[in-house]
Amino acid sequence: MNEEELLKRSAAERDRIFSCYDRGRENGAEIDPWEDPTFEVYHTTDRYGFIHDKRLPQKPDPNEIKTHRVEMERLKKWEKMTKQWDSSSTKEKLRRRVYKGIPNRFRGQVWALLLGIKNLKREQAGKYEEMLQLARQWSTEIRQIDADVARQYRDHINYRERYSIKQRSMFYVLAAYSMYNMEVGYCQGMSVLAGLLLLYMDEEDAFWGLCVLLADKKYTMHGFYVDGFPKLNRFIEHHDKIMNKFLPKLKRKLDKCGCDSILYALKWFFVVFQERTPVSLGLRIWDIFLLDGDRILPAMAYTVMKMHKRFLMPMESLDEFCNYLQIKLEKDFCFDDDTVISTMERSMEELKRAKLDYPGPPLPHELPRFPFGTFKEPTFASKVGRRSEEFSEAQHVMRESITQRRDLVLADDGRESTTPVEQTSCGLGGELRYSEKIVHGNTDTCLLYSKQESIIKDEDKDNTDTDEIDIMVIYNTRFLDDGASPNGSRRSLADTSVTSTADLSVFSSATRSQALDNSLDTQSNISNASSGSGGLPTPRATPHQPSPDIVRIYVPYTSPMSGSYKDDLPRTLPRSLETNRIRIRVDPDQTPIVENLKPFSLENPEVELDLK
Amino acid sequence: MSNRDSDNLISTNDETFDYLFKIVLIGDCGTGKTCVVQRFRSGTFIERHGNTIGVDFSMKTVLIDDKKVKLQIWDTAGQERFRTITQSYYRSANGVVVGISTFLSLQHWVEEVRRYTSSHVLLILVGNKCDLESLREVEKGEAEALCQYLPEVLQVVETSAKENTNIDSVFFYLASELKRRHENRQINANGDEVVRLGASRKLSSCSSCSYKIF
Repeated sequence: MNEEELLKRSAAERDRIFSCYDRGRENGAEIDPWEDPTFEVYHTTDRYGFIHDKRLPQKPDPNEIKTHRVEMERLKKWEKMTKQWDSSSTKEKLRRRVYKGIPNRFRGQVWALLLGIKNLKREQAGKYEEMLQLARQWSTEIRQIDADVARQYRDHINYRERYSIKQRSMFYVLAAYSMYNMEVGYCQGMSVLAGLLLLYMDEEDAFWGLCVLLADKKYTMHGFYVDGFPKLNRFIEHHDKIMNKFLPKLKRKLDKCGCDSILYALKWFFVVFQERTPVSLGLRIWDIFLLDGDRILPAMAYTVMKMHKRFLMPMESLDEFCNYLQIKLEKDFCFDDDTVISTMERSMEELKRAKLDYPGPPLPHELPRFPFGTFKEPTFASKVGRRSEEFSEAQHVMRESITQRRDLVLADDGRESTTPVEQTSCGLGGELRYSEKIVHGNTDTCLLYSKQESIIKDEDKDNTDTDEIDIMVIYNTRFLDDGASPNGSRRSLADTSVTSTADLSVFSSATRSQALDNSLDTQSNISNASSGSGGLPTPRATPHQPSPDIVRIYVPYTSPMSGSYKDDLPRTLPRSLETNRIRIRVDPDQTPIVENLKPFSLENPEVELDLK
Repeated sequence: MSNRDSDNLISTNDETFDYLFKIVLIGDCGTGKTCVVQRFRSGTFIERHGNTIGVDFSMKTVLIDDKKVKLQIWDTAGQERFRTITQSYYRSANGVVVGISTFLSLQHWVEEVRRYTSSHVLLILVGNKCDLESLREVEKGEAEALCQYLPEVLQVVETSAKENTNIDSVFFYLASELKRRHENRQINANGDEVVRLGASRKLSSCSSCSYKIF
């Protein structure tokens, strides 16, 4: 193109553009749909960028206008504060102001300051790229990350399109992180953290933000996501403690309906109440979380339950609870954000007075064992995405604690029920192999709870009649005496329980019954059927897990050192001494011993059980 | 006297029903478990469902032969590390719906069900997203052939939560089969003197379970 042609082209372009404006919009101007103000997305996208199913109201609601106005007034203060972040005046005012809410346009900047991203990024220059390159070659989590990126925040305008810039960033950040912290790799839930950070900052900053959230002692989310979820366990137990102390009636109701806290609180803790509260409130909680760290999680969980107690109490089924806590609250929290946050502040004070404000520092296994960025070649199984057959140690611990917590709830519920021994068949097949009987004595001091589960003949063993029976002995007046005791407090099973396994061969003849035999035959049917088929593609690698000939005893006990222990002991001695008697001796500093006929004394509290 | 689920002690006073069955959805992540539940429960399809973290719970009552059958549906997270939590929910399941994505994982999940659930559990394998024919990874015939060796598998069904293909029928079939088997068992059990665990008998009549405590 020569000079003349270039000049001609410029002139033509200028004329064309002028003519567009001269003709105006109504006279045949061509515009893309997205340029049109009637384009639907403009009407359904809120100020945070989330797209709603319906058009937003033409007139925003007065509360929202007010919030917006207040936020505008605060901008100057925040402007000043972010400029002198390390000054004493910032330190003084920061907390109060964060609790009032970080103005949306300052969120990215303030989050980065709170997380200390800038320094980390400078110290580790080049590391992000390096990790991303490693991920391209080695990451074993790509399939899962891809599946989650494809559905994370799809109702946000930035993530709406598949493979959009922000989706790509989320994918890269999570992939790089799966190499940076190979102990955690990628765990579902982390896409929320990465997705949220990326709404307010760029890719590399979000990566370092994620690193801080998992590793820094203020947040230690590593413990939530790592194999076995050790921190989740601890936080759930702490939450239960709070519930038992401050909302015992609601807790009992939830227990009665089979609503284990893990059902609703897992997501609360894993993603800091995102996607379980409305977006604006979720952001407020997130602001405070970044400032104060993980101690706000139990306080917020308590706050939600406290504020919604009166709606939850009349509910009668698990369905209603789950619907309310998992779905309804996200749509409509019923209280405005400021009220929720100020209630949470009060909750924190309340918990502080009860010394329940902080679940304590992380336990060793909640922390990373290896320095970050250490590369270790993945195993073959994880390279090909094979699921492992066996549980890891940490997974066992988690599973045990869930089962234990539920068993405890069942036992507790049995105590309250007036007819605990009656069970009705309501069509649940669980009853066929699984039964629970709860018996309690005339004094409310001891309670024996037994369940018989997965009783099978282990053909590989020396064909003795090996039946398994699980017995759970709960021994502690105060523990059971929820609400009725002076302070109404309960001890947590977790701090005080001894779990022990004792051989109880004496049981095997006494406990075998028709009922147990009945549950055996179906098992053998199955194995007969399958052995006949020849070349079964999935042979049963191991029998059902709980099979050894043992009695498992969970004994929550109060340490003799902790004060009023002796006062809680039963004063009456057991009377009847009939045949077939088993005693389980509970020694505070030893594992429980099971034996026959020994004298009872107060120093060695015993539980006696009678087998007909 | 209140009806109680023997495992979860769920009070069921609020609503009357004739049967209550617990159904768990398991399977690899992204097989559309949540969409299947959503479609069955409310008849809608939401393309942009988030991931399930932990376990979600929902309920639906269906009418089968004039009997009200209440289904408790547990929707679980697909990622392997969540199995510690999800398994504690499926140990007492009556029915399991397995979302299959690959042949290899199918075997894995069936094995997992065998290990951790009651031996009476009924399985349905669901190949969801059958609207995405071009991305098919498991041929229905292959899956069916494999299932001949798996007596607990009732059926292999291809579904689409998006186009509402076969979703209801999966749950109806499972529910009616559970109901039928349950009725048969009751007839058998009433015939002889077998004491069934969890049956509505007083504890004193169950020789294995009567303990006295002082």
